[in-house]
Amino acid sequence: MMKFDVVIIGGGLAGMRAATVLQTEGLRCAVVAEGLSLHDAPRSEFKAAGGTILAGDKVVGGVFEGDRLRSVRTEKLGDVTLEADWFILATGKYFSKGIVADMDRIYEPLFGLDVLYEQDRSKWFDPAFSSHQHFLDFGVRTSDGCALKDGVRIVNLIPAGEVLAGISSAEGDAKARIQKSALDAVQMIRRN
Amino acid sequence: MPLNNDFDVIIIGGGITGAGTARDCAMRGLKVLLVERHDIATGATGRNHGLLHSGARYAVKDSESAEECIRENKILRSIAAACVEDTGGLFITLPEDEDAGFGLDYQKKFIEACIKAGIEARAISPAEARAMEPSVNPSLIGAVVVPDGSVDPFRLCAANVTDAAMHGAKILSYTEFLDFIREGDTILGVRVLDTRTGQKAEYRAPVTVNAAGIWGHGIAEKAGVHIGMYPAKGALLVFGHRVNNVVINRCRKSADGDILVPGDSVTVIGTTSTKVPFEECDNMEVTPDEVRLLLREGCALCPALADTRILRAYAGVRPLVADDSDPTGRSISRGIVCLDHETRDGVKGFVSITGGKLMTYRLMAELATDAVCRKLAVHKRCQTAETPLPGSADGRIETVSKHFEGIATLGQKGAAGRQGDLAGKIRFDSEEDKQLVCECEQVTLGEIKYAVAELGVHSLSDLRRRTRVGMGTCQGTLCIRKAAKALAIALGDPSLEGKLAADYLDERWKGMRPVGWGDTLREMEFMQRVYKYEKPYSYDEV
Repeated sequence: MMKFDVVIIGGGLAGMRAATVLQTEGLRCAVVAEGLSLHDAPRSEFKAAGGTILAGDKVVGGVFEGDRLRSVRTEKLGDVTLEADWFILATGKYFSKGIVADMDRIYEPLFGLDVLYEQDRSKWFDPAFSSHQHFLDFGVRTSDGCALKDGVRIVNLIPAGEVLAGISSAEGDAKARIQKSALDAVQMIRRN
Repeated sequence: MPLNNDFDVIIIGGGITGAGTARDCAMRGLKVLLVERHDIATGATGRNHGLLHSGARYAVKDSESAEECIRENKILRSIAAACVEDTGGLFITLPEDEDAGFGLDYQKKFIEACIKAGIEARAISPAEARAMEPSVNPSLIGAVVVPDGSVDPFRLCAANVTDAAMHGAKILSYTEFLDFIREGDTILGVRVLDTRTGQKAEYRAPVTVNAAGIWGHGIAEKAGVHIGMYPAKGALLVFGHRVNNVVINRCRKSADGDILVPGDSVTVIGTTSTKVPFEECDNMEVTPDEVRLLLREGCALCPALADTRILRAYAGVRPLVADDSDPTGRSISRGIVCLDHETRDGVKGFVSITGGKLMTYRLMAELATDAVCRKLAVHKRCQTAETPLPGSADGRIETVSKHFEGIATLGQKGAAGRQGDLAGKIRFDSEEDKQLVCECEQVTLGEIKYAVAELGVHSLSDLRRRTRVGMGTCQGTLCIRKAAKALAIALGDPSLEGKLAADYLDERWKGMRPVGWGDTLREMEFMQRVYKYEKPYSYDEV
C-alpha cells in the first residue's frame, strides 16, 4: 500500500493542472498517467514540487467503502494499492477511453460511475460535421462536484476535465473549461 | 445548337453499365456522348462489395447467372488486371447450417452445380480452410474453394470511361438529364443541365441509351415507357483493416450478410436486401437493425470481426426489374434486361439496359451496344472481351517502375497498384510530388495531380474514387486538409480548399454515424477535435 493525500487518475491537461497546484500547496500527490500524452511543462513543474508520477501505468479498479473510494489498483503495481483521501478522475472522454461507448450504452470503465448520455443513438450525431455533435456532451454525472455511482455520491472522487458531461475538447471554449474544472477540484479539496 | 452537339449515341448514366456501354460503342466507331449527373460510379456501382463473383453463389438456383458470372470473371481477370485481385474464395459450412438443411449434403449439390456451370469448385477439409484463411470461423465443418476475387468498382468504372474517351467519346459528369427531345414517337436527343454552372444544353443522337440503374425507372417514364423496377437497398459495413485475405461466403441459400470480401486495405461485409421507395434512392441511410444484422452474420463467417473497428457503413440500390411476362410484377429477374423500346413500346431511338450486376457489366454493355448498332445499321464486332482496359495492359510493378527514377517509393508502388500501367503517366518531377498526402492509402501528391489532370476530378469524393484518398483507417482525419489544398491548387483555385474539405468531412461523417460507437466513436471525436478546435492547447491561459 502507498498512501497519498490525492491520487490523480490521468495525466492530461486537467489532471496535471490539478496535481501541480495541489502538490505545490503541500499536498502529497500521485498522478497515474497512462500513455504518452503527459504535458511536458506541467510534468516537470509537478516533479520539481516533489510529486509522484506513475508514467505508463494505468488504474484498473478501486475499492469503495460506503460513499468513499478507499484505494485504487494499477496494472503495474499489482497488489500494492494506492490509498488517498481524495481521488481526481481526469481520464478524458472517448479517445482516451475515459468513457466508452458500445453499441447500446455508454459507460465509465474504471469504476462504473453514472454517465449522462442519450439512450437513442440516432440522436448522438448531427449530419453536418461542423454542427454541434450531441455525443460530445456525454460524460460522468456529478453531484456538488463529486462523482455518482449507482446514484450514490462518492464524496472523495472528483471528476475533472473531459470525462465530465458537458465538456469536450472539440468545443471552442473547452481549454478554459477543462482547466476550470481542474481548479474546481482543487478548491473542493482545499475547502475540506 | 452547334453541330458538335450531334452524336451517334447518347448514354445516360455514368455507372459501370453506362461506362462500359460508352466504351463498347466508342470502340465500334460510334460518336458517343455520356452524361452523368454526379461523378462516375456514385450509384450502385460504387456501393457494393467489390466482389469478383465466381458465380458459385448462383450455381444451385440460377445456372444461367452462374455461367454468365464465371465467363465474365475470366474476362475481367484478363482485361481489367489492374482492377482485380485474385484472392480466391471459400464457401464455408457451419454447424448451424446443418440444422437449417444446408449441411454437407447441400455442399455436395453445390459443388456439382458449380462444376456444371463451369466454375472450378473443390471441397477442402476444415483444417485446410483454416490454413488457407486463418480468420475463418474455426468451427466450420466444410469448405469449398472457388475462383472468387475482389474488384475495385471505382477503378473499373474509371478505366472504362478513360478508354471510351481515348476512343473519342465525350464524357460529361455533373451533367443531369432533364428531358428528352422528342418528335412524335421518336427520341431525338436529350436536354441536360450542367449542375456546376447551371447552364442548360441540348444534344442530339439517333439513339439514346438509358443506363441509369435504379434512376433509369424515372428516365424511362419521361420517355413515356414503363419499366417495372424495384429498388432493393443493400447495406454494407467496411472494417478498419484487411481481416481476411480470401473471400468468405456461406455455403447455403443466399441470405443477408453472408459475403466477406477483402479489398485493398479493408474488408467489407454485406449485404442486406430491402425494398425501398424510389424517393429514398438518392439518400440512403444505414439503419441500426441493418448494422446489427451485418455484424451478427459477419461474425459467423469470421469471429474476429466482433473486435474489429468498423470504419463506416454504406448502402446502394440494386435496380431489380420485374419480368415483362409477369403482369403481377412479382417475378423479379436478377438477369440482364435489355429493352428496345421501339419493338416493346413503339418509342423509336431509345434503349434501356438494366438489371444485371457489376460482374456482368461488360456483357450488359455488349448487349446494349449490339442493340444500338442494329438501330444504326453498323456492323462491327464487339472487342471489349479481348482488349485490356487502360492501366491493365501490364501493371506489374517491375514494368511500371521503369517510368520512375531510382527505386520506387511506397507511394509510387501504391500508384502502380491503383492505376496499373497508367501510373507511368504520373509525374514525379520533384520531391514534393513523391510526398504522401494520404498515408493510410499511400497516395502521393503526384498521383493527385495526375487524377485531376486526366481523370475528371472535381471534389475530394471524386478524388477518393480514383485514388482511395481518405478511404483508410483514419477516414481522412489526418489528410483531408492536405488533400483539399493539393486538389484546390490542382484545380486552379486555391480558395476552394475550405469548401472541398468541408464537403468531404460531411461525406465521411455520413458513413461513420451508423457505426458510431467503440473505436469508431473515438475516431469521430478525434476528427471533431482536429477540425473544430482551432487553437492549440496552451497551458497557462485560463
